[in-house]
Amino acid sequence: MGKSGTQRDPFALVAIVGLVAVVLVLAACSTNSELPELEQRAQSINRVVMCPVCPGESIDQSQNPLSLRMRAIVVEKLEQGWSNGDIYDFFVERYGPRVLLEPPTQGVNLVVWLVPLIGVIVGGALLFFVMRLMVRSSGERHGEAEREAVLTDEERERYFGRIETALTADGPATDSADRDDEDGGVG
Amino acid sequence: MIVDAGNLAMVVALLVSAYGVLGSFLGGWRRSPALVDSSRYALYSVPVLLLISVYALVYAFVTKDFSVAYVVENSNLAMPDRYAWVAFYAGNAGSLLFIAFVYSVMAVAVAASMVRRLPYTLPYATGLLGVLLSFFLFVIVFLANPLDRLAFALPDGQGINPLLVHFGMFIHPPMQMAGLVSVALPFSIAMGALMAGRGGRDEWVDLGRMWGMVSWLILTIGLLLGSWWAYTILGWGGYWAWDPVENSALMPWLALTAFVHSVMVQKRRGMFRMWNIVLVTVAFTLAQMGMFINRGGPVPSVHSFGQSTMGWLFLVFMGVTLLGSLAVFAWRSGSLKSRERLDSILSRESAFLTQNVLFLAVAMVTLWGTIYPVISEATQGLTITVGRPFFDRVNGPLLLILVFLMGVGPLLPWRRASASNVLHALRYPLGSAAIGVVLLLVIGVRQPVALMALAVIIMGTGGIVHEWVRGTRSRSRKGESYPVAFGRLLAANRPRYGGYIVHLSIAMLAVGLIGSSFYDLQRDIPMMPGDTRSLGDYSFTYLGVSERSFSDRDEGTASFAVTSGDRDLGIMSTTRTFYPDFRIAATRAAIRSTPLEDFYIVPSEFGEDGQTVFRFYVNPLVWWMWASGPLLALGTLLAVSPRRRLAPAQVTSPDGIGLARV
Repeated sequence: MGKSGTQRDPFALVAIVGLVAVVLVLAACSTNSELPELEQRAQSINRVVMCPVCPGESIDQSQNPLSLRMRAIVVEKLEQGWSNGDIYDFFVERYGPRVLLEPPTQGVNLVVWLVPLIGVIVGGALLFFVMRLMVRSSGERHGEAEREAVLTDEERERYFGRIETALTADGPATDSADRDDEDGGVG
Repeated sequence: MIVDAGNLAMVVALLVSAYGVLGSFLGGWRRSPALVDSSRYALYSVPVLLLISVYALVYAFVTKDFSVAYVVENSNLAMPDRYAWVAFYAGNAGSLLFIAFVYSVMAVAVAASMVRRLPYTLPYATGLLGVLLSFFLFVIVFLANPLDRLAFALPDGQGINPLLVHFGMFIHPPMQMAGLVSVALPFSIAMGALMAGRGGRDEWVDLGRMWGMVSWLILTIGLLLGSWWAYTILGWGGYWAWDPVENSALMPWLALTAFVHSVMVQKRRGMFRMWNIVLVTVAFTLAQMGMFINRGGPVPSVHSFGQSTMGWLFLVFMGVTLLGSLAVFAWRSGSLKSRERLDSILSRESAFLTQNVLFLAVAMVTLWGTIYPVISEATQGLTITVGRPFFDRVNGPLLLILVFLMGVGPLLPWRRASASNVLHALRYPLGSAAIGVVLLLVIGVRQPVALMALAVIIMGTGGIVHEWVRGTRSRSRKGESYPVAFGRLLAANRPRYGGYIVHLSIAMLAVGLIGSSFYDLQRDIPMMPGDTRSLGDYSFTYLGVSERSFSDRDEGTASFAVTSGDRDLGIMSTTRTFYPDFRIAATRAAIRSTPLEDFYIVPSEFGEDGQTVFRFYVNPLVWWMWASGPLLALGTLLAVSPRRRLAPAQVTSPDGIGLARV
């Protein structure tokens, strides 16, 4: 981890051990690969088809008798070699488009997907330009004084270097904790 | 008799609270300290009055007074007294009384906390707090009175919805309702400051932040408890389904999360003044939207809880408060000029702003998906369902970026950073993420999204751990032992380190979420008694089912002998209960939970020949989601706890009211 190799650091060791523990925990997680492919496909279909009599719940989630029957139909059709799309169409034909929890990706209802996409792109662009604007107007206001206050890379390096030594070496220990951010939030 | 007293107390509470609103605004406007004081005291009396009404309703439940319509609808002779607590808020009218009472207590606490610290804002904030209170009381008194009497008493009631009789239900709905309504607290403080013409001073920020975080905590606990309840009782192995009512509680939470962060920037730098008021207004509007959807909104949902036809009233009220807020905003926006501007796009300020926008984006996507079925119904006459796949796919990436910002943001310096010092600040987080990814790959985590998400989480955690280590070490050099040094470090800057603890618990939550969504294992297995099957590392033998009948329900309990590898995990049993009166079946899953993974059994389908289909899940890391709750509460409380050094009151005046010299 970074520079910790240059000095004896008990905490780096603790951190690494902790990390390894987390990873081991994850290692123990099973994966879906144990299930037969057909069953995996059935599950993914069941999670998208809504139970027609219990709004909002998928047939995977619902224990309603109708859902049980629909789950059986999914398995049956898959065994007959139907594709996922065929099975969705089969249910849409019977119960209408609302039976799918995932809105359609074609036709008028494509708008469900497009609005967030466009919103995020436009919002992101807007955010960027607003921040640019805020930065520029601050430059105009502060003018030269502000620009002079900017450190050169070399000065900054020296400045941060000194802070770093104060923090990690034998400097006044409380500085980092108490003065750093008296009431600053985290983020 | 007592019921009548409760009824009377409700009417008096409405009158008193209406007086409080009028008196507060008038007193603020005419600068009359006497009027402002008397209005505030009027508000103080409301919780006391409502306590009488609350007592009356509880009394009616406990004495089985079936002349009260609400008691008839929500209880019966067989109901034990302790369920009166649940029956109280099981229906629309009672839940409104519950909300009004809880809200009145919180409103009084807010007003009292402002007296010394925000004397100029106080009258307007009190007035605003009173507006919502008066609205609730108006609805209760005129449209949904839980103490309304029937023309004649009935011999027995209809009984309580059995799904509500569960430990989770004892806490989750009241928390959720209190959470939604508590968003009005920071809103009233911020909007009150703006109305008083003091939005440009940052004096409201401390209290606004504090009450914002209190509200955030209540909402968060409500959401977590709801998920936990769904996981243990609904028996589908999941905890979040992007159901409209879930969404309606999530949306204000998202906006409020943005607010409690960005208000820090105003506190530190005097920036984002206008933006903070916008955020808290959005949060409050979304909270009202939540109450509207809860109370018979137009969106189909699995939550039929507290349904009624008065949703439109909440919608109208929401529209009125939104328009009112906009008007105040237009009137006073001149006072909101920020002192400082952004110095650089690469800075903590802009990280905060980006985070805010992302949280709002998730809230808006959620809102869009939630109301789209209504839109499509109105425009095409065709209901389109927008369910889980949509939300997962659209909100997932946005939430991932947010977790990334959670790791990076706190390490960025205020004002401006250069690429080189950002990299310097991030060397530990990035280093741990790199090592983490390698290790994850080695152990076989290949799912790209899961890998990316875990890398981001490790990075954020690495940053926090590094900060703690650095601070603790430098303190320990003074001769403090490590635990003492760590404790004093946390105490020295509570908002900061409390925030880190909250971030860490969010990381835990995210780990649980990723583990259980990408690596869950689920299988339906038909079994006869004596059969042995296996899933994952677990092997289980179905021992059979034992049936028991009660006066109100039939219970079937299926038992399994479970082993994992060589270890004997003992007997696990899952119960399915059928309530014939309600035609409702409830299942209680058998769950063996460890930090590593949950093994989860639930009956799915009972055949006639003794064969039963069970559903088995192996849900990795779900434990961490529930464990994150207490840590999150602890961190939030640390972050709002007052500092030892008392902050001087920012605005004081000799008479303690200060209105005379505005």
